[in-house]
Amino acid sequence: MPLPAKAFQRWLHGIAPDTSTADVCRLAGIKRTTLAQQLVRGKVAEATVVSISRAFNANPVSSLAYFETYRDLAGPQVPPTSHELVSQIATMDLLRAVIARSAPAAESGAESRGVAGVAGTPAPEHPAPGGQPALSPAPHATSVKNWVDAIDDGELRHRVSAATGIAPQNYSAQLTANRMAPEVAIATSRAAGVGLTGGLVATGLVTEAEAGWEPGARQAALDMLSDADLTVLAGDRLQSLGKTLRRQEQDHQQAEKIWENLG
Amino acid sequence: MREILQWTTLIVCAAATAARIPSALRGTNRSLFFIFLLATAAGVLSLDVFYLPIDRALGGINLASFLLRLIVFAAIYLVAYRVSRAFGARDAYALISGRIGLSVLGLFSAALVTLFLLMDFSASSAGLADTGGRSQRNAALLPYYWATARGYPTYISLALLPSLVRTLGSRLPALVRAGAGLMAAGAVATTAGFLLEFAAPAFALERLVVNNAAVLFFVSGLIMVWLARVRAKGTGGLGTSSTDR
Repeated sequence: MPLPAKAFQRWLHGIAPDTSTADVCRLAGIKRTTLAQQLVRGKVAEATVVSISRAFNANPVSSLAYFETYRDLAGPQVPPTSHELVSQIATMDLLRAVIARSAPAAESGAESRGVAGVAGTPAPEHPAPGGQPALSPAPHATSVKNWVDAIDDGELRHRVSAATGIAPQNYSAQLTANRMAPEVAIATSRAAGVGLTGGLVATGLVTEAEAGWEPGARQAALDMLSDADLTVLAGDRLQSLGKTLRRQEQDHQQAEKIWENLG
Repeated sequence: MREILQWTTLIVCAAATAARIPSALRGTNRSLFFIFLLATAAGVLSLDVFYLPIDRALGGINLASFLLRLIVFAAIYLVAYRVSRAFGARDAYALISGRIGLSVLGLFSAALVTLFLLMDFSASSAGLADTGGRSQRNAALLPYYWATARGYPTYISLALLPSLVRTLGSRLPALVRAGAGLMAAGAVATTAGFLLEFAAPAFALERLVVNNAAVLFFVSGLIMVWLARVRAKGTGGLGTSSTDR
């Protein structure tokens, strides 16, 4: 449920007391009509608060904590688990890491090791080689689903469903669409017993830095993965990407057939 | 009321036909143009103003009515042929344009010709309204004539309906699903028109409303799918831009 307009007005007055609504919109890059509509309906989107916070150099997470629903975001947060951190690395970055780890072995030539390691050779822990390209910032194309998978103990979906009243199939549909309402993201974190900001990062509402994640935390979590774990993870991601692409191609073919006959 | 309905149907069909002229000239999917053209022709022949002079020109033996029935057969066949292919409905495809489908079309057409020849139509009458009273044989044969005339579109509608409903629940663009929904409504209306023909012979106006609605639903469904394509091509194709998702 988005934020109540009354509380929003109070918050806005606190953060930007002498600024007109028009200026707030201009600075925050929000359409005036959008904000006006949200105020009229009495429900202000969380993203609106985040945009305005950024424009006025306030931390969006602390701003959200001003509101009743997000009260628990106030104060220090539990840091993300390494699984959560890795889940917020894009599939292509994981694949790049796989290649980067196997590259030194390929160069050494004589002995093939690392990811492409021959059975019997213990897989060594490779530190990130210098000059490795930085990870693309969270969120990525499947970050919401990957995040939930990373914190799911098998019963998480049921608990979220019970706590929020969202039907499991609707919840799954949201994950597939890489979308999740901020309130549901918080409920998911709570149900999984992890830090409350993970879902906000995964849905792209706030950045890692805004959520208080250490810079380089994702890279560090990635470096800590064993070659086997990384390879399996990258394989899983590739497989689901393949499935998504297959479905897209089928949809595309189906659409083409329709245009061909009825377009 | 009657006239307004029929004119509305005719105007919608004629507008759709006119709108398809550029595509037809370009050579894209001419059959859609012909479908709309046939629907327009059927609309013209349904109106007394046009029916009577045309029938008089054809000899005043209600040949125009017979022609109208054949036009309806051709239009509904073309619609079903295209739709079953577009939605990849193998079941419908066999029932419509497979060996079974063509046999059914042949049977209905042959029955229509036979019944038409057996009846005595010596005076023009739109919708064959006065024909039943002309002789006992006419009165006996007329229900069969209507059963045949409405039977084929109903058969096609029922064959097509499952694939339309399937499309309604698919992941296809919203406009395509809306189009399939409208055509499904058209199929239901066609079937309802067939049933009304027998169940309630007195409700002439209701029958007219249902039958006109069927045409309007089918035509607007086709327009909707066409708009979906215009939209998809306008925004650079479907689903190709988001391969990373």
